[in-house]
Amino acid sequence: MLYCRLKYYVKLSAAVDDFLSYSLTATKYVLILLSLAILVRCLRSMLSEKYESEVWAYIRLGRELLPATHWENIIGRSRSADVRIDRKGIGRVHAVLKRSDNGVWTIYDVFSRRGVWVNSIKVGPRGMNLDTGDVINLAGTTVRFQDITTAKRQKLEAQRTVPGKSVSPFGTLLELTVFELFLLLQHTMTAREEHIASIALAFAMLLALEWACYLSMRLMGRSGFEVETLAFYLTALGLSVAASSTPGDMYKQILLMTAAVVLFLLMGWWLRSLHRTTLLRMTVGICALALLALNVLTSDAVFGARNWLDFGGYSFQPSELVKVAYLYVGASTLDRLYRKRNLLAFIAFSAVCVVALALIGDFGTALVFFTCFLVISFMRSGSIATVLLAVAGAGMAGVLAVSMRPYIGQRFASWGHVWEDIYGAGFQQSRAMSAAAGGGLFGKGAGSGWLKQVFAANTDLVFAMVCEEQGLIIGICMVLAVLAMAFFAVRSARHGRSAYYAIAACGAMSMLMVQMALNVFGSVDILPFTGVTFPFVSRGGSSLLSCWMLMAFLKGADTRRGASFVVRPVKTIEEYEVVYDAEKDDYDYDDDGTESGD
Amino acid sequence: MNKITNRAVSVLLIAALIIVGLTVYVLRYIDHGKSWAMSFSRANAGVTGTVTDRDGLVLAAFDETRNAYAENALDREACYHVTGDYWGRSGTGILSAYWDDMQSFSLLTGTTHAESAELKLTVDTGLCRTAYAALLGQNGMGAAMLMNYRTGEVLCMVSAPSVDPLDSETEPPEGAYINRCLSSVFTPGSVFKLVTAAAAIETVPNMDSRQFYCENLYTIAGVDIKCTGPHYTQTFEQALANSCNIAFAQIAVKVGQTNMIEHVRAYGFLDRHELSGLRSAAGNYPLDFVGDPELAWSGIGQSTDLVNPYAMLRFVAAIANHGVLVEPHLLMSETPAAGETRLMQADTADRLAAMMNYNVVSHYEPEDNFPGLPLCAKTGTAELGDGTSHAWFVGFLNDEAHPYAFVVLVERGGSGLRVAGPVANRLLQEAMKR
Repeated sequence: MLYCRLKYYVKLSAAVDDFLSYSLTATKYVLILLSLAILVRCLRSMLSEKYESEVWAYIRLGRELLPATHWENIIGRSRSADVRIDRKGIGRVHAVLKRSDNGVWTIYDVFSRRGVWVNSIKVGPRGMNLDTGDVINLAGTTVRFQDITTAKRQKLEAQRTVPGKSVSPFGTLLELTVFELFLLLQHTMTAREEHIASIALAFAMLLALEWACYLSMRLMGRSGFEVETLAFYLTALGLSVAASSTPGDMYKQILLMTAAVVLFLLMGWWLRSLHRTTLLRMTVGICALALLALNVLTSDAVFGARNWLDFGGYSFQPSELVKVAYLYVGASTLDRLYRKRNLLAFIAFSAVCVVALALIGDFGTALVFFTCFLVISFMRSGSIATVLLAVAGAGMAGVLAVSMRPYIGQRFASWGHVWEDIYGAGFQQSRAMSAAAGGGLFGKGAGSGWLKQVFAANTDLVFAMVCEEQGLIIGICMVLAVLAMAFFAVRSARHGRSAYYAIAACGAMSMLMVQMALNVFGSVDILPFTGVTFPFVSRGGSSLLSCWMLMAFLKGADTRRGASFVVRPVKTIEEYEVVYDAEKDDYDYDDDGTESGD
Repeated sequence: MNKITNRAVSVLLIAALIIVGLTVYVLRYIDHGKSWAMSFSRANAGVTGTVTDRDGLVLAAFDETRNAYAENALDREACYHVTGDYWGRSGTGILSAYWDDMQSFSLLTGTTHAESAELKLTVDTGLCRTAYAALLGQNGMGAAMLMNYRTGEVLCMVSAPSVDPLDSETEPPEGAYINRCLSSVFTPGSVFKLVTAAAAIETVPNMDSRQFYCENLYTIAGVDIKCTGPHYTQTFEQALANSCNIAFAQIAVKVGQTNMIEHVRAYGFLDRHELSGLRSAAGNYPLDFVGDPELAWSGIGQSTDLVNPYAMLRFVAAIANHGVLVEPHLLMSETPAAGETRLMQADTADRLAAMMNYNVVSHYEPEDNFPGLPLCAKTGTAELGDGTSHAWFVGFLNDEAHPYAFVVLVERGGSGLRVAGPVANRLLQEAMKR
């Protein structure tokens, strides 16, 4: 069939024709090789290149000069303290040393038993600003604060590794481009004629977006492009899924992709300033709650879950936006983490979100939120007991939900037995597994599958759909791409400037991973079928937007030298300090206003 | 910061769980991938296919939404054991056997389907219908096969009772799903005398000059062998035509058990055969030392002898074709046949053929029973010890225009000539029109 269509389009001699039909069969192997190459290059670049910490200030302890490598540093006796001072009387976590966007250092007493004094003045709960040469007394131990000089900072910066040296992002992007072109080639052979133009346009738009993204990064002097490459890789697979399942909707897809990338850039730009970011937290939190409330009150049941809102023909899932808001509000800077009010507010906010989603009936998303809550609360508290308590509580709530909502109970009942009820509760999963197995390792080619005819194939069953059309190897690559980003989030968190970015990045990735796990394993009957989307790949506008926005958090944690556009480079940081100093009066430094809305 | 970012490792726990889950999936895929893929395999490969008989009549057709069979109910039942059904209930059926060929599966490539999912069978629906109707006209339990012994094409394979795959209302009779041609074995009775005769020709010198005496009763080592006779003095040829038990008891003893076993095995009665991917059942013959009386009974097709009708068809087809069996098959694509096997010497086959023709001419009243047929045949009435007997009629047409070998069995039908004979006659008369 492929062959005939090609003949129809290109009138060539028989020999060339034959050659083409063979090379077309080869495209699917090329796609797999490119997938593996892209994945390996990104992994190497993200995980195996040197990643040195930045230095932002020093604490002089006698003759020793202890570097403060973050914007937020714990001073204490603990082995995991950022500035470790192992002297008698100093608490395990004694004080927090924090740098703001504008270069002002503040020290906070974190409930230490023996207190903190700066130049013999006791530090209160609101902290105290520091200048170079200030003497800090920590429970009898005297240290001297020393801000880093511009010259020293730039000298140190010059010694750090620039990403992209060993694995050029240009090369990876070139591979991705070829990957997308081959994908498009497959579609031109299987799609109906009237759709080919719009599919080609959508792929062209995707190419334009990624190259525009890349070039503007280069213009800004940034060289870290792995996260974007992986996100574009997944988006391309998502576009392929859309092209084969809903080829009539290509223009909408173009619009969505563009919007997603623009939102990613805007969000990234916004996150550059920690101050600006934290300022809006309460507003964002309130908006998120309002959105959920609106959703609970107004929406009708759509396919079992009332998670749709309709705006003049465009349906949209508030829970997707709330995901971004949840991280925006849930992540926190180090100094606040140790305040009880902040923690309580976070728990309350999480509980409201999860309960609202449960009321809506979006069981899967509620689970995603809950897992993210666990990760964030563990990162904040480090207490396994708390986490276990939360799991136990959620378990009981889950049992209640299952017993009260018949359709959820039904999903659990069919879990693990989908082959016994292939015309009932196991309808979608059994078809998904059959189609996925039918694709083998190498797939049937884009647009050649049959699963797309099954309800929700391009959302809930998307893993199977990709396995069918592109083969199991690319299906696994897709999962690994998300895992690669998660590994990178964990690696970056270690060198993050602020706990806010570290928590947000790790939270975002755990959200995406849980979502992916529920999607993949739900569709192949390893987990109950909850009907959540696969990040980037599942068709669905709100989902694509939120995934791209979450990527901005990940970019915010990437402090490799000159890597991320979300992170201000060291060499230009002075300029911002000047700007901030000029505007300093506008800022209200009252950090006590928490997002609880009290 | 370090405190918090150290805990970020908890994120990797989720990643680890995902990798575990993915491994579980891949292992399950390796284990069950094939059955998953095949569950909706027609949809999987997007196949539309047909199974037709030799004249292009559609016996089965399928696409993504529809499973169809022959239009005529009688055709559906007559051909059921050839086509089988889409659910694989019949055990032997082209639809089951060739499902995987029409769309095969491998873990590497997933489902793939052959260029054409069209299977053209060698079967002649008209002949099947005739044979099936004829079997129903008897007691409705039995098997009939007919093949071209020159090309190996099987034109008719019918087993009664049968199933209408479109009729989901009525419960099919007991045993209807069993293909008696391939999956069952029966006591052969006198048709087995052809086997003993063949073994004798090949092992005992001067068979034609020997004479056999029958007085209704003959005793071997104190055990009585009874005969329908008395046939008094007979030649070898007359003994077969008389179907004389006493003569064949003596012949079997003369051949000896070792030689008998060797020939029974060589003629393929103890093997499982394959007919275009459909497996047949293996027959039985006493292989342990049994002594002369039992050997005598085994030589006349009683004792523990069990014969599969398809194995018998292969045997008579070889006799008809000068000792060479052209491998039987059900698919047109297998013509010319994949192989030929010499089952016996050409002389042996021709001698047997002549004797089988003598059977018909001298004993089967061909003008009344088989008008106009150039027939070589042997009857069998296999006593089952409970007063009933299987009626067999096997043989072939000695006619270059109609080179057909056949086997007819009516289970517990009674006399071979009276019960199986008419079924064979109707089938052969119809075949002669081809």
